Amino acid sequence: MQSLSATSTAGVLMDLAGVLILLLAFACLGSKLFNRYVAYYGAQSVVLSFAAAVAAYAFASPELWVLAVATLAIKGIAIPVAARRLLIRRLDLKRDAALSTGLSTSLIVGGGLTAFAYLVTKPQVLPHGLVAAAVVPLSTAVILLGALAMVVRRHTVAQLIGWLIVENGVFLGAITLVATFPFIVEAGIFLDIVAGVLIMLVFVSGLTRQLASASAPELRELHG
Amino acid sequence: MTILAIIIIAGPLAGTVAAAGRAPARSAGWAGAAGASVTLAAAIWLLVSMLHHTPVRGLGGFLYLDSLSCFFLFTVAIVTTLAAVGSVGYLSAEEAAGNLTSFQVRLYYIFFGLFAALMLASLETGNLGLLFVLIEASTLASAALVGLEGKASSLEAAWKYVIISSLGVTIALAGTLFLFYSASALHLAPDLRLTWPYLFAHAHALAPASLRLAFLLAVVGYGTKVGLAPMHTWLPDAHAEAPSPASAMLSAALLNTGMYAIIRFLAIAKAGLGPDFPRMVLLVFGFLSVIIGVLFMVRRGNFKRLFAYSSVEHMGIIAVALGFGGVLGLYGALLHTLNHAIAKAVLFLSSGDVAVRYRTRDALQVRGVLAVVPLTGGALLLGSFAVLGSPPFGLFLSELTIVRAGFAAASPALPLLLLLLLAVAFIAFARTTTAMATGEPGPLPATATAGSGRAGPYPGRAARLTAIAPAAVGLAALLVLGLWIPAGLSTAITHSIGVL
Repeated sequence: MQSLSATSTAGVLMDLAGVLILLLAFACLGSKLFNRYVAYYGAQSVVLSFAAAVAAYAFASPELWVLAVATLAIKGIAIPVAARRLLIRRLDLKRDAALSTGLSTSLIVGGGLTAFAYLVTKPQVLPHGLVAAAVVPLSTAVILLGALAMVVRRHTVAQLIGWLIVENGVFLGAITLVATFPFIVEAGIFLDIVAGVLIMLVFVSGLTRQLASASAPELRELHG
Repeated sequence: MTILAIIIIAGPLAGTVAAAGRAPARSAGWAGAAGASVTLAAAIWLLVSMLHHTPVRGLGGFLYLDSLSCFFLFTVAIVTTLAAVGSVGYLSAEEAAGNLTSFQVRLYYIFFGLFAALMLASLETGNLGLLFVLIEASTLASAALVGLEGKASSLEAAWKYVIISSLGVTIALAGTLFLFYSASALHLAPDLRLTWPYLFAHAHALAPASLRLAFLLAVVGYGTKVGLAPMHTWLPDAHAEAPSPASAMLSAALLNTGMYAIIRFLAIAKAGLGPDFPRMVLLVFGFLSVIIGVLFMVRRGNFKRLFAYSSVEHMGIIAVALGFGGVLGLYGALLHTLNHAIAKAVLFLSSGDVAVRYRTRDALQVRGVLAVVPLTGGALLLGSFAVLGSPPFGLFLSELTIVRAGFAAASPALPLLLLLLLAVAFIAFARTTTAMATGEPGPLPATATAGSGRAGPYPGRAARLTAIAPAAVGLAALLVLGLWIPAGLSTAITHSIGVL
């Protein structure tokens, strides 16, 4: 099972999906409303499941079909709905005030990170002519943008979304680079994400109950 | 052998099952301790029988046991047993004092067993993807232990821990991905491309550019779990806020599990890229960790934070030893892993007794432990000298080996720098712990006085014994390891080096 060639229809679709996923990561980075964070993450996951479906079709791999459906159901629908119900609505979160830099600054830094992602992955690592050569820099950029969102945002909910975006970036790389990990591994990764989100939901609501708001400026008791 | 591997994982789950099955908290604790002892016995058996066996493979490469994994299983099993016994005393005292509800105690035993079982399982797999899955899952289980007390500070520490570690481990997954990709040229079936023995056997055929990236990402990612600077920031908070036996598990078992993952990647990278690049990466992260750990140990305050920074320092020392390489360096690294694990377990468990009696974690308010509880005070004092590498304890021997490896492998400047840092660490650490152990005990909470008919803050003599005995046993083991390394253990370490 090798990577797709860049000129095949499936390759073009994957490339397109990768670009959309990167744009949605930027959209998330450039927004200030909790609602939007979750919406952009949900949309990104839907595009990701589309990419997985394209790969599944191209390789005729039933395991990838399962993954595509699971991505849609869990990352595209269940996690955004749970985040909206359990966090945003219940804690009445609207505007994220806990940013450590302005939006424009973080977008510019994000642009720089994207360029950096191309620099480190494209020339040395990947063979030309494969769709992976186009998509892996994109997925590396998505990983870096998610990490940037976690650094810039100090609110716990925003950091949670940032981690999920990083995870999406890794997943995008996985389906283009290697078609699939062994199924048990993929299933385990999914379970980890679900368990991780659950446990983080518990911590976020616990923290919010303890402090009036769970933004990091108040999280200063521990330091050094 | 496969049966032994399953017994090892299943042992700690006894406590989980008992607690989930609504057994009384105390019996869940005893079940966990008994299960952990079974695990330890099985791990010793496995370690010994591995001396005469070839590596075990099974379940399509998902199960893989060689001397190296058996050695780490042995280390983690020791720590799990000590901590599981210590949990019985600590948790019952916390419950008696009203700091934890019985529901929280039950939750503790559920997650403690899960945490231990997941770590042991991650040491038994030969599939690097499954390794990621299990290490991430063990992060989640231990995060529940860190946040157990439910105070704002412990929830904050748990949040910091889970978010930083998850991000780190996800980066390691990206590294695993590039490793998988670097094997494209091998035309192995996808199931085998993530299997460590195959990758190691074909390391020279891996694409070097993506292998280099994979190794770097794996060191950064799993280094987050190990607590290598600058990814160590979650570590002091989590260690300070977790219940003391859980801190012992974090510091002495979890960090080693992360180091095990790095060693697996290191072996492939060394075979595929030559020794220079991996050595440089490990030396940079290692020395940075030692320096950061030592600098933050100078500060006085929470004594569990002090122990945590000491863990950062020691993980740095192990990384440096792996970087020095050679038979001597690897031997020193593995021996130091075992010694540090036992010493840290002793320190955290005795600090649990101190915290329960003094009702504080501030080192400046703790004075005269030797006078109040001679056994714990002795364990604290001797344990801290052991962890600082004074003879006749095991860490002296392993640190000496590492420094010798440095002189053999690198320019003398590096091992000399290491010695200097160790000296600073000695002063910084000992001035806090000796002051805690000696000195004039101030006015204590009513629960602190021992031997007044009741067993101090513990609800019974048995509970009191479980709080103190593991530290004493661990200390005795350290002393033995300092004077005489059992021939079987030494052969096991040599075999593990042979694997690499």
